Amino acid sequence: MSIDLLIALITGAALFGVGIYGALSQTNLVMIMMGVELILAGAMVNLVAFWRYLHPDNPAGQMFVLIIMTVMAIEMAVGFGVAIARFRAKGSVEMEEAVELKG
Amino acid sequence: MTAQMFFIAFFGLAAVWFGIAVFRTYSMVRSALALLFSQTALGAMFLSMQAEFLGVLQIMMMATEMSIMAIFMVMFMMDPGGLSTMDMIHQKRLSLLAGIVSFLAAVGVAVFVDWGPVEMIAPDPAQQTIALGLELLGRSMLIFETAGITILTSMIAAISVAIQPVKQNTVPTITGSNHHEH
Amino acid sequence: MNLIAIAILAPFSMMVLILTLRRIPAVLALFGAAVGLIASSGLLSSAFSGTNSELLLPGLPDMPLHLVATPLTALLSTMVAVISSMVLVYAVGYMQQDKEKTRFFATMLLFISAMQTLVLAGDWVLLLSAWELIGLSSYLLIGFWYQRAGVKSAATRAFLYTRSADLGLYIAAFILIDNAGSSDIATTLGTGGNAAVVAGLLLLVAAMGKSAQTPLHDWLQGAMAGPTPVSALLHSATLVAAGAILLIRTAPMLPPETLLVIGIVGGITTVITGLIALGERDLKRMLAASTSSQYGLMLLAIGAGIPLAALLHLIAHAAIKSSLFLGAGVFQHSRESTALVDLQGAGRDRPRIFFGFALAAFALAGIPPLSGFFSKDAIIAATLASPDAMLLATFALTGTLLTGAYMARALHILWRGEKQTREIAGLQWMGAGLAVLVILAAILGFTFTTIETLLNNHLDESTLAQILGLSAALSGLALGWFIPAKRLLGPLRPWAQQSFAITGGFDVWLVKPAFAIARSCEQVERGLYATVLAIGRLGLRLGLAARFSDERGIDGLIFSLVNNTIELGNRARTLQSGLIHREMAITVVGTAFILVSALLALLVY
Repeated sequence: MSIDLLIALITGAALFGVGIYGALSQTNLVMIMMGVELILAGAMVNLVAFWRYLHPDNPAGQMFVLIIMTVMAIEMAVGFGVAIARFRAKGSVEMEEAVELKG
Repeated sequence: MTAQMFFIAFFGLAAVWFGIAVFRTYSMVRSALALLFSQTALGAMFLSMQAEFLGVLQIMMMATEMSIMAIFMVMFMMDPGGLSTMDMIHQKRLSLLAGIVSFLAAVGVAVFVDWGPVEMIAPDPAQQTIALGLELLGRSMLIFETAGITILTSMIAAISVAIQPVKQNTVPTITGSNHHEH
Repeated sequence: MNLIAIAILAPFSMMVLILTLRRIPAVLALFGAAVGLIASSGLLSSAFSGTNSELLLPGLPDMPLHLVATPLTALLSTMVAVISSMVLVYAVGYMQQDKEKTRFFATMLLFISAMQTLVLAGDWVLLLSAWELIGLSSYLLIGFWYQRAGVKSAATRAFLYTRSADLGLYIAAFILIDNAGSSDIATTLGTGGNAAVVAGLLLLVAAMGKSAQTPLHDWLQGAMAGPTPVSALLHSATLVAAGAILLIRTAPMLPPETLLVIGIVGGITTVITGLIALGERDLKRMLAASTSSQYGLMLLAIGAGIPLAALLHLIAHAAIKSSLFLGAGVFQHSRESTALVDLQGAGRDRPRIFFGFALAAFALAGIPPLSGFFSKDAIIAATLASPDAMLLATFALTGTLLTGAYMARALHILWRGEKQTREIAGLQWMGAGLAVLVILAAILGFTFTTIETLLNNHLDESTLAQILGLSAALSGLALGWFIPAKRLLGPLRPWAQQSFAITGGFDVWLVKPAFAIARSCEQVERGLYATVLAIGRLGLRLGLAARFSDERGIDGLIFSLVNNTIELGNRARTLQSGLIHREMAITVVGTAFILVSALLALLVY
């Protein structure tokens, strides 16, 4: 077990944890999105570590990371579009006020 | 303890620190900037792990994205400067618990699993890029084709969601009714 | 067309016409009776010339319906036709103010056609059917004024009495048909031996019922509740004659033992009903008892072995009794009652009617040269010549005496009293019918020799009989005129007024049990009806229960299922808080759960 790998994995784990904390605890839509960014970042770190220390010859690892990056970008774009629409409709993007779907 | 290991550890720590800082500050802009730094540290980490292409890409993209995010922050926040000290957090204990539990679970997995033999030699950056390109045009062609269409769709969707409703015309139509476009 | 068919069908078709048109019933009735009379006269004249008309119709297998006009039957047919026509003429006047003329004339025509069928019948099946029909018409006519009190029970009584006696006729007919192998009457008259004895006795039972002989005489007095034309036609000349006609026609077959029984029955009847007539307080009932008495005399003659005498008396009596009844009807209209108390002096109101009545009364008593004298004379002569002369002759003479007595009593009451003037509607019609019959009553005696020639039979003249008869008649008349009935009857009076009922009479033995059976049958009927209704109601309840169970049970089940599902959904809906962070928390927990399960599964597999 390489120490490098371990360090990278622990970093990924920490980012993941922080990201979950942020996504669940924030009231603002944009902050939630930041939390999601951090989760994805943690996943990316893990992937790169696995590629580098376990299968460096196989470019599929890097491919996966590329895809995640693309997805991150798209997710942000759509998310901000929703935030704009919400802001126009209600004047704020606070998720605590977004209870129209209450059952 | 090699230099590589040290750099990985350093940049990793920086990423985590800035990540925590995102949620500890009251100012929105500072949150955005903290996130920016966190992502950049991550890019540096990639570079130190000899994934040059990815590292560069990460730094470039994240810089742009975080700047946009900062702009949106300013647009939408009622208190972008963070001058009020209101704690905008809900279900704090639950989220803390969730975060810690997931962290510990991931660490446990990382520590207790036998990952097998570790290769310490990574290929050349040029060779990496060539291999990546071949991979892209070979096996992963389908993925990126579909990804491309999906991206296009999402872009259109995002634009249509964000578009402003059309203002009412003063020119009367034949039916005499005004209709809203959305 | 065959005269026999016309004689029967003329009145019948007119009846149908009356019932369908419901107009001018009197005219149609008279027309039908007149045509029937012409046809019967035609039959008689052809019988005189020696030809017997016959009519053969298909009936039951081996038993065709046979109508035959022998001299005897043609004679009887003419008698029926004449009396019917005159009574119908009278009835036009009598029923002028009645509201139900249609029903009356239709039923009378029914009776007339049935009676013609009876007298012209040549086989037992037809005779039985006609016998039943005249019984039915009698019931309908006696009960004509059914709204009045007592009428319905009188009609039912008459029907029950005669019906019970008809059993004898049925059994006798079966015995004869069985014995002879054919239902033709002429053929069956050849039966002999035990069958003849038994059949004869049973025929006597039937005759006793129809001709109101003791002990079955009571119904005839109750039958006077019907209109007077009905009494005149049915209950003096034709229906009650059916019994005697039956015995006269079957006389060649009857053995001496049966003849003796017939004679005794006739004799007892004559005396007893004569006494009843003497004690009666109602004119029509008295005449009814008199009818029974006269038919008793006819049965005496048959019992003595000379049915020709009975036949002659039957014909004479028909004319006499009808005129007596028609006269009584005029008095009834005049005083609005038939009780002798009310009729005192009714003769003085209408002297001419009274004259006719008195003439007929004398004829009945047997005063020469009226017809009754010749016929009574024949009967007494027959009884004197019979083997049991002592018994039968005594009966006959007593009967003659009593006849004179009660007729004189009636005349006395009718004459001695105050005159009352009252207008009677339809008097001309009534007078016309009465006049013809009175004339017939007076002169029929002179036609008897012609009848004897026709029937190829001759009576022996007996001077002794003439003397005895005349003396009995005159003494009877004197007794009746001068001595009131109370003293004549003495201790017998109350018994006579109850018409000699013994141990409650037929009321207790026959009528009440019959009604009790009828009532219990009605109860059974009601029970069955109630059961059927209950079953129907049960079925209905079952249907309702099925619907109920379907609606509440099955539908309820299904709908409750639906409603519960909706309720569940409603309650589950409230779980939605709408808050994003909650949703995300749930997402995280759920994902963790899935991951852990997947890993564990991996470990296992």
